Amino acid sequence: MPSPRANTSIRVRLTIWYGGGLALIMLLFATALYVVMARALEDQVDRSLEEAAVAASRSLEEHRFGPFLLLDDLAQAFPELALIDKFFQIFGPQGQVTLQSANIKTRNIPLSQTALQSSLQGQAVFETVRFHDEIPIRLLSYPVRHGQALVNILRVGTSLQPEKEMLARLVFVLLIGSPLAVVVSVLGGWFLAGRALRPVDDITLTAQRIAGGDLTQRIETTSKDEIGRLANTFNNMIGRLEASIRQIRQFSADASHELRTPLTITKGETELALRKPRSAEVYREALESNLEEIDRMSRIVEELMFLSRTDLGEVHVASDPVQLDTLVQEIHMQAMVLGKEQRISTTLGQVEPLRVSGDEWRLRELILNLVDNAVKYSLPRGTVELELTQYRGMARVTIRDHGIGMTPEEQRLIFDRFYRTDAARAHAQKGTGLGLSICKWIAEAHHGTIEVVSTFGQGSCFTITLPLLPAAAAS
Amino acid sequence: MRILIVEDEPKVASFIRRALEEESYAVDVCSDGIQGRDLASEVDYDLIILDLMLPGLPGIDALKAIRDAKVATPILILTARSKVDQRVKGLDAGADDYLTKPFAIEELLARTRALLRRASGDSTGLLQVDDLILNPTNHEVTRGGQRIDLTSKEYALLEYMMRNSGRVLTRPMIAEHVWDLDFDTFTNVIDVYISYLRNKIDRGYDRGLIHTVRGSGYTLKLTDA
Ligand SMILES: Nc1ncnc2c1ncn2[C@@H]1O[C@H](COP(=O)(O)OP(=O)(O)OP(=O)(O)O)[C@@H](O)[C@H]1O
Ligand SMILES: [Mg+2]
Repeated sequence: MPSPRANTSIRVRLTIWYGGGLALIMLLFATALYVVMARALEDQVDRSLEEAAVAASRSLEEHRFGPFLLLDDLAQAFPELALIDKFFQIFGPQGQVTLQSANIKTRNIPLSQTALQSSLQGQAVFETVRFHDEIPIRLLSYPVRHGQALVNILRVGTSLQPEKEMLARLVFVLLIGSPLAVVVSVLGGWFLAGRALRPVDDITLTAQRIAGGDLTQRIETTSKDEIGRLANTFNNMIGRLEASIRQIRQFSADASHELRTPLTITKGETELALRKPRSAEVYREALESNLEEIDRMSRIVEELMFLSRTDLGEVHVASDPVQLDTLVQEIHMQAMVLGKEQRISTTLGQVEPLRVSGDEWRLRELILNLVDNAVKYSLPRGTVELELTQYRGMARVTIRDHGIGMTPEEQRLIFDRFYRTDAARAHAQKGTGLGLSICKWIAEAHHGTIEVVSTFGQGSCFTITLPLLPAAAAS
Repeated sequence: MRILIVEDEPKVASFIRRALEEESYAVDVCSDGIQGRDLASEVDYDLIILDLMLPGLPGIDALKAIRDAKVATPILILTARSKVDQRVKGLDAGADDYLTKPFAIEELLARTRALLRRASGDSTGLLQVDDLILNPTNHEVTRGGQRIDLTSKEYALLEYMMRNSGRVLTRPMIAEHVWDLDFDTFTNVIDVYISYLRNKIDRGYDRGLIHTVRGSGYTLKLTDA
């Protein structure tokens, strides 16, 4: 069973993660902000209370009114004490109220036990008190001492209402703002994730079309980002796949087309032979013909397989030092045998001792194929000339014949697979038309070239050019 | 019955030729489209077997040229491709039937018989004049229920004469349809074969079927006389 995660789209998951993370951060931030804010406000209140208390106590000492302080005087001397947001109380050393500012009105705010005890020990004390469900009040009890003796306890108080309101506003703003910010961000994230993932959807769609069999499809991409790279990799992969499949299709088309003739012949000859009882000689001829066709089919399949593998880059050539002159001399001997029946003689011209780097077996195939053609497309009693020379720092093998030749248009096509000229078909029945395609591949695999110069009815000259092995490597 | 094979692959042409000859047809072979087109209008063939992949002139073009020259001979095309469009093109260009390579020899022979039968306008397949019956499928010839054994050439001659019964057939006509291009027209081979046939078919019967038309040739028919 697939995990539920596998079914949710990346976009959804990305957005959920993003939104969840953001909400958490907002929550932490809001909490921290609230705590810091609350602390700062409390500090501020405490400091102002303290300042007021210090100022008041100093004036008490200055005026030396003793325990009986006239608040009005005090208010006059220190206008800041008359602020409505603070009230003053002065207690005697036993904790009884002796004086208090007018803005305290009727409320009775007694001195707490802790405040009295601390004051006796000369310590100021902050307290927060709350009467029923009214707004809490912050109180500072401040001992006023004369020498060692506690003279008075000065108490400054203030309502915490502004701070409470401020915090409430803050909470309000945070409660509304944070979810709003989260929602907006999530929407933005959803949109951005969609945008970022759209190329992925494109890739999926293209891949689906490709899976449907259309390998010409490509993902359109101009960006160089991660998605762009993915698309490019994907396109490259499809390109290779398309090429391979085209090769395979080409191979099967070629194979089925080229195998049809030998199949027709073997089928026809066999059925004809089997129609009625015949002499041993007739059977023998039928079997010989069939064998010939079977050989032809195996050659076609083999050569086509080879070419197909070269197309896919699966054939590697060795790079050993090859002594070309010995190779050419050996092939000359073979050419004599090839031409024996038709009395076609192959003459060896100049043969320079040259070395190239490559695959001896393939190079032999290359030259032998061309010599075979030269003999095959020569007229009886004709001559073929074979030569190996050095030319412009390259090894050059020339194979010249005086046979049927080719027209210029034909010369352009002979390196194509299965192409055979009409004259060649009429002249030599056997041949698959694959020999030169293989030659061309071998020459190019050795960083060389193969060229043809020919005149119809007069003969042809094929030239193979191969890079020489550097002298250092040759020794 | 004389057949032309236009096929460039000599081994294919060769076995088709041998198979047809074994069936007593006179066969000519040529290997390129231009020659095939020319032969088709020069000689009055009874059937042309035409490969579509030809050097010189593509088979389709040869086919069109033959039909343009008002040659009505049945044409059987051979195509290397099993592709439908190739066959359709061939049939549209005037071919009567097609075979895709590789094909079975018996199918080729059956189609040959069918095309020849259609051309001579009968559908039963049996050729009959009076009580003389010829079966082109198995080459059986009977007269009054009596089997008659014929050599291949005698059979070919009789088949041609029966397909054209009632018509006067000149010696050149007989030569053209029963013998192939190698036939030497200046010999009396035709007269010799006619006498062989007469010996086997008419001897011992009241009604002779093969008649000499003085000055022109021969005819095969039932005369009331
Ligand atoms: N020396 C030549 N003279 C004239 N034509 C040539 C010569 N060499 C090649 N050709 C032409 O090029 C065609 C292709 O040659 P290629 O060697 O590929 O095939 P092939 O010789 O027909 O068959 P095979 O695959 O058996 O060699 C030949 O069929 C022929 O038409
Ligand atoms: Mg060759």
